Amino acid sequence: MASSPREPMFTSWLDLHADKIDDPVKRLRFLRRGMQVLESEVLVPGAPKADSAPRRHRLIGSWKWPSVVGAAIAAILGAAWPAGVAETAVRERRMAIPAGTVAFEAPKDPIRVWRVDRSETLETYSNGLRVELTFAESYRPRQPYPVFPLNGGAQPARYQPNPAGIVYHTTESHLAEFEEADNGRLKALARNLLEVVRDEHAYHYVIDRFGRVYRVVEETDIANHAGHSVWADPSGIYVNLNSSFLAVSFEGQTGEPSAITAPQIQAARMLTEMLRSKYSIAAENCVTHAQVSISGVNNRIGAHTDWASQFPFAAVGLPDNYAQPLPSLMAFGFEYDPAFVEATGGRWKGLDLAEAQVAQQAAAQGMTVTRYRAILQHRYTDILGVVAEFEGGS
Amino acid sequence: MSQNEALGTALGLDVGTSRIVAARRSAAEYSYDAQLNAFVGIPYSKLTLDALLRENVPCTVEAHQIIIHGNESEKFAGLLNAEIRRPMNRGVLDPKEPDSLKMIREILSRMLGTALPGPQKPQAPKKKICFTVPAPPLGAADALTYHEATLRQTLEELGFEPSSINEGLAVVYGELEDSNYTGIGISCGGGLCNVCLAYLSVPVLSFSIPKAGDYIDLNAAQVTGERANLVRLAKEDAFHFNGFFENKLQQVIGVYYDDMIRSLVVALKEAFARTSSLPKFMRPIPLVLSGGTALPAGFRDRFEKLLWEQEFPIAVSEIRLAKDPLYSTAKGALTFALSEA
Repeated sequence: MASSPREPMFTSWLDLHADKIDDPVKRLRFLRRGMQVLESEVLVPGAPKADSAPRRHRLIGSWKWPSVVGAAIAAILGAAWPAGVAETAVRERRMAIPAGTVAFEAPKDPIRVWRVDRSETLETYSNGLRVELTFAESYRPRQPYPVFPLNGGAQPARYQPNPAGIVYHTTESHLAEFEEADNGRLKALARNLLEVVRDEHAYHYVIDRFGRVYRVVEETDIANHAGHSVWADPSGIYVNLNSSFLAVSFEGQTGEPSAITAPQIQAARMLTEMLRSKYSIAAENCVTHAQVSISGVNNRIGAHTDWASQFPFAAVGLPDNYAQPLPSLMAFGFEYDPAFVEATGGRWKGLDLAEAQVAQQAAAQGMTVTRYRAILQHRYTDILGVVAEFEGGS
Repeated sequence: MSQNEALGTALGLDVGTSRIVAARRSAAEYSYDAQLNAFVGIPYSKLTLDALLRENVPCTVEAHQIIIHGNESEKFAGLLNAEIRRPMNRGVLDPKEPDSLKMIREILSRMLGTALPGPQKPQAPKKKICFTVPAPPLGAADALTYHEATLRQTLEELGFEPSSINEGLAVVYGELEDSNYTGIGISCGGGLCNVCLAYLSVPVLSFSIPKAGDYIDLNAAQVTGERANLVRLAKEDAFHFNGFFENKLQQVIGVYYDDMIRSLVVALKEAFARTSSLPKFMRPIPLVLSGGTALPAGFRDRFEKLLWEQEFPIAVSEIRLAKDPLYSTAKGALTFALSEA
């Protein structure tokens, strides 16, 4: 089976994301840098650290497709430029794809936010954000985590030290009426919640119903918030997001969106601005737990459904990320059931887009959707093995 | 640097055999300045020179001649019944034209001005400029180094920070934004037809054929005994593809136009067919035609008809004329320059 970085399965991500960029100059810049990343990923397969020789041997033994693709890539790259006009192609490639920066730009740049002050119990930021530190605890320091290529085998494309995104959760904890008369109970519930979250190292941040932002796990550490999960951006795929994404949890419950208060949303906006500024996080990588959650046993998405609907993306200063095609479907062939669709309160646009992409990619490869999904799911299994090795060793 | 500041610091330049077009962008607006890439010499007299300078006609004095360049050269060539001279031939600087370098520098400096930093801002960043270069002719060696290096040096001397782009790719960048810069861009110019197939902005295949506007003009002039310049004017002013020709000149132009389009279509088919690893396109791709030679009414239809007669190896969704066929290449070069800013 032949493959190249210019085949649709490699580039559909770029195509979809570029469609969202109105300005022709920005769109061209995005595509050129994106194609550079894709081609360099294939030309220089990423760090081999996690892919020891025994591991590689096991992969080949258990399932040959990724290694066949890897071998095919090298062969195809040799013929990737047309015969007879090779000199033109080489010259143009030099012209069209600048050397140097390969950083992806988010279509919407984060605003600059900096820390203004810090005491033992409080940090204040230039956008008005105040972070309470009284529950902050260290946990397990984040190690550079593997990021996988959009297509190909199970070898990581790179290891990344900083958070790549944010996952929004709800705490699913007991709630009281948001009334002045219940003030004491509201405060007590929040305090109890924070103690539980701290004990479980469940999230980096919790926003209580008064809009107070608590750091619970240090940003430099991992939190146990999204063990079985997948997300991706044009630079790669993130699997099991505990290491790669920061967790922000609203004190609230799934199915009770009205319980989320205006101060919470305002605080989430400021917190998001701060984190995006600090780590250069792309807007498209700020997503909900329901969008990234997968089941570890049945190849279905939506094991968790917090914020499966009505996350206030606009109010938090983000694009409607429900419209993004789900990487778990597109990259790893996951499926979903009617219960998940019901939880979303109607279909996300991203579900339809992902389904359409899978169908198109299967057609482009000349195989049935079922067969194509099975291949993608095999890849997920192999990648999961690499992630398990990383998590066991980190 | 803000987006608006960045817009003002870049230029796109289509350096064609027949015309030079400069593109600028301010906010969402593009503006263009086009000059004929040509000059003509007239006998020197003080009286003539004073009159030309008074009328702001771009000219220089060389030995015993007054050299008029740019758009005005055509008018004076008509008045004097002389052929205009061109710094370029078949897409590159003409080695047989001794004044080519001097003239192209003169035209460029009048179009672009100088971007050299003045005493006020000695450390100001250089203005980026992206100029077009042709692709090598199909099956021939790349002999573009001198042309490209010379233009680059000229632009550097004028104070710019130059980069270059293939003409066909510039058409893609100027016209195929809606398909995420995937498709086929063809620039039908004076000296060459340049073709580029791009996939998500990356050029996959590009080539040129040496049959274009000049080929039509020279051959039609030979057959009819007219001056090539007059043929060009007749072609640009009145020619159209409708199967009915008012006079012999139009009929001859039609014959050579047809030959040119057939050659282009055959070259397209051959080039794509012999390229072993074209990308797998998810959907049919657009093809856009641009350049002054694509301007006559009916050109697109004729091209489409001849293309469909071939078994073209790529599914094409549409064949369309560029929105501004004379300017799309410069616009694409500008888009490229801005994306680099």
